Amino acid sequence: MKEGATIPPKIALIGNPNSGKSTIFNQLTGLRQKTGNFPGVTVDIKEGHFKCSDGSEVMLIDFPGTYSFYPSSSDEKLVSAVLANPKDPRFPDAIVYIADVTCLEKHLLLLTQLLDLQLPILMALNMADTASELGIKINVVKLSEELGIPVVLVSGRTGEQMPKLTTELEKLLLPNQNTRKPFYDLNPVEKQVSEAIRLNFNEENPYRALQLAHHFSWLPFLNEAEKATIATIVDTKNFQSLRYQVDETLDRFDRFTPLVHRTILQPPAVAKTPTDRIDAVFTHRWAGPVLFFATMLLLFQAIFEWSVYPMDWIESGFSTLNEFLQTSLPAHWTTELLTDGILTGLAGILVFVPQIALLFLLITILEEVGYMARVVFMFDRTMRRFGMNGRSVVALIGGSACAVPAIMSSRTIGNWKERLITVMVTPFISCSARIPVYLVLIGLAVPKVKIGGFLSAQTLVFGAMYALGVIAAFLTGYAMKRWLRTREPSFLAIELPVYRVPYWKNVWLTVWEKVSAFVVGAGKIILIVSIALWALSRFGPGDAMATATADAEKEAAALNLDAIHQEDLIKQRQLEASWAGQMGKAIEPAIRPLGYDWKIGIALLTSFAAREVFTGTLAVLYNMGSAEADINDRSDNEAKATMRQKMQRETFRDSGKPVYSLATALSLLVFYALAMQCMSTLAVVSRETGSWKWAFFQFLFMSGLAYLAAWLVQVVFA
Amino acid sequence: MQRRYRSIPDLKTNESARALSFSDAALACKLTAMGVLPGARVEMVRQSPFGNAYYVKVDGVRLALRKEEADSILIEV
Ligand SMILES: Nc1nc2c(ncn2[C@@H]2O[C@H](COP(=O)(O)OP(=O)(O)O)[C@@H](O)[C@H]2O)c(=O)[nH]1
Repeated sequence: MKEGATIPPKIALIGNPNSGKSTIFNQLTGLRQKTGNFPGVTVDIKEGHFKCSDGSEVMLIDFPGTYSFYPSSSDEKLVSAVLANPKDPRFPDAIVYIADVTCLEKHLLLLTQLLDLQLPILMALNMADTASELGIKINVVKLSEELGIPVVLVSGRTGEQMPKLTTELEKLLLPNQNTRKPFYDLNPVEKQVSEAIRLNFNEENPYRALQLAHHFSWLPFLNEAEKATIATIVDTKNFQSLRYQVDETLDRFDRFTPLVHRTILQPPAVAKTPTDRIDAVFTHRWAGPVLFFATMLLLFQAIFEWSVYPMDWIESGFSTLNEFLQTSLPAHWTTELLTDGILTGLAGILVFVPQIALLFLLITILEEVGYMARVVFMFDRTMRRFGMNGRSVVALIGGSACAVPAIMSSRTIGNWKERLITVMVTPFISCSARIPVYLVLIGLAVPKVKIGGFLSAQTLVFGAMYALGVIAAFLTGYAMKRWLRTREPSFLAIELPVYRVPYWKNVWLTVWEKVSAFVVGAGKIILIVSIALWALSRFGPGDAMATATADAEKEAAALNLDAIHQEDLIKQRQLEASWAGQMGKAIEPAIRPLGYDWKIGIALLTSFAAREVFTGTLAVLYNMGSAEADINDRSDNEAKATMRQKMQRETFRDSGKPVYSLATALSLLVFYALAMQCMSTLAVVSRETGSWKWAFFQFLFMSGLAYLAAWLVQVVFA
Repeated sequence: MQRRYRSIPDLKTNESARALSFSDAALACKLTAMGVLPGARVEMVRQSPFGNAYYVKVDGVRLALRKEEADSILIEV
């Protein structure tokens, strides 16, 4: 990429996991951040902008946390891959290294590796506040002198010394010829290999050439010929990659450990810290899992209790607006497009926001506090039985909000097979988009009775749908574990960070980022489907619509219907004649075994792209103005009752039997719990697995399973 | 016959020992990068609820290790 005047300089934020990298990134950029969309780059990393004192812009790139250049997960591999390739669009002009001053020794490994790349670099010693609480004394000047780079003691949390950090950061971008002596001396074999690679690849930096020797087999920017060249060099020199990686790491530690002792004074360690006391309970043999499940129950309880109110406001707001527009605008198809197409679609997106936001909020708090790592530790064994990794729990919990970010969080899993299984099964977890569908169908099928006087039958079925998703996920995992083979090593090795009070700025920013990604990403699809659905049900082939209208008018006159019922009848006949009606009838034979009629068929078709469209479609099909379709509302208001009555009156055209028997409603519930009906998820799956193959397989598998299970339910309950 | 090596799973709860070396190169690569070094003080804190994983402290840093990972860290007898 050519350096132009318009491209701002790039500064990379690099550090170990839990060093406080994101916190500092948030401090520096605030809301001026987004998930990166560098050309040709598939894995997103966050980028943000930052204004220097002279008014010029700098681009900050937040890399995933990693311990060293020798990575084991795709998250960590990204750092090595970018830094090994100066032509990468994300290759930084300078680096800000974030280290946790309370355990600096561990954090210097990656820093000294970065030093050997000879890029301008500074170190931010983070968590100054905790250090002074613990009584840790740091000689910053001496540390800076010995490392030969600027060092700033900061706190991302209190904002302490952040201005100093920004001034130093700006100085990094000034031209300087300062080349440092390499921190690590290559051993003789490493030297020869590095030398040979440098000649072949026109690479100046010996350490970067060494990185090519270690990683060439998976580095994405090398072509086959280049890989073959390196392979030959490595083979002829008998280069022992793994052994040299360990030796190098130990050598580096040997060099900087004395340096740390010279510059940092640690008070004697306390025997039992608060973290130890909390973990004695929260990771306890019995109490640990019990507390986990209790936490999850509370989480979902909170979401359902609290999100009802904002959802009500959003819905009533939209229906008021809709009514207002319908009465004040001229009756024309453009008005219908606006009200029935666009506004209905928008309402369908925004009504999810409270639930998604709450779920993300609670999950982010659990993560920020440090609890998630404990969950990974406790359930690793269980998850491995089902072909996954302890880290998969985080993805599965996230999947209850939305599968898209949950699938992306699986990047921390190093083993390809475990990661793939996690990606494949996460969409089985009931996400918030399924909730409104469940609510309508349960309201329709399950009587409002209490079992044993206190447990509501409706709640029970609702819980059963979640359980069904979890069971399907685990069984699929088990099957895939048997089926897939890999010899790649699998790791748990995870740090259990110190428990911290959540830092609210981090929490808000994360929630904001995820919710806006949902609104923009999934929202686009929902909106498009909603508009298409409107058009498909508004227009029909040839003069079918006109004929249907005329027939309905005649029929209404013959039956002596009043104006309102005549209107209803006309709308219904029009829908039947429309494109949507035709499509529904075309697939009726395929779904008849499940007990569904053509109207449900249309709803299935339209909700293919996004399942939340289902309720909206039914509302249109059962001839409800969108204003009345207040079905996400759990309070038993009139609108829901009319919708339910209409649905209950529905009969099959040929046999005259009612469509919505208990069996059909249950069968639909099961179908929606299992089917893959989300374009955004499929898109993310194909991106994260690197091919459409897996997304396609997932689609076929989940839909096939849903069909079979729905059919079984129909047969059993009919 | 007496065993020549012990590894982390042999530690009792709250017992600690010095790490000596590793028995697996790939795991050594991962663990050294996380700061588990020969000479480090390793303390067994507890087992995971369903077994097969250990909560340990290595030079004061808390880590969760799987059985195979813990097995690969040899400690002084
Ligand atoms: N006390 C204190 N906590 C911090 C500071 N910076 C970050 N944290 C906390 O450390 C934890 C990890 O921070 P995060 O930014 O998520 O780390 P990352 O994994 O490196 O991105 C979070 O709970 C932060 O709130 C700091 O300067 N002082």
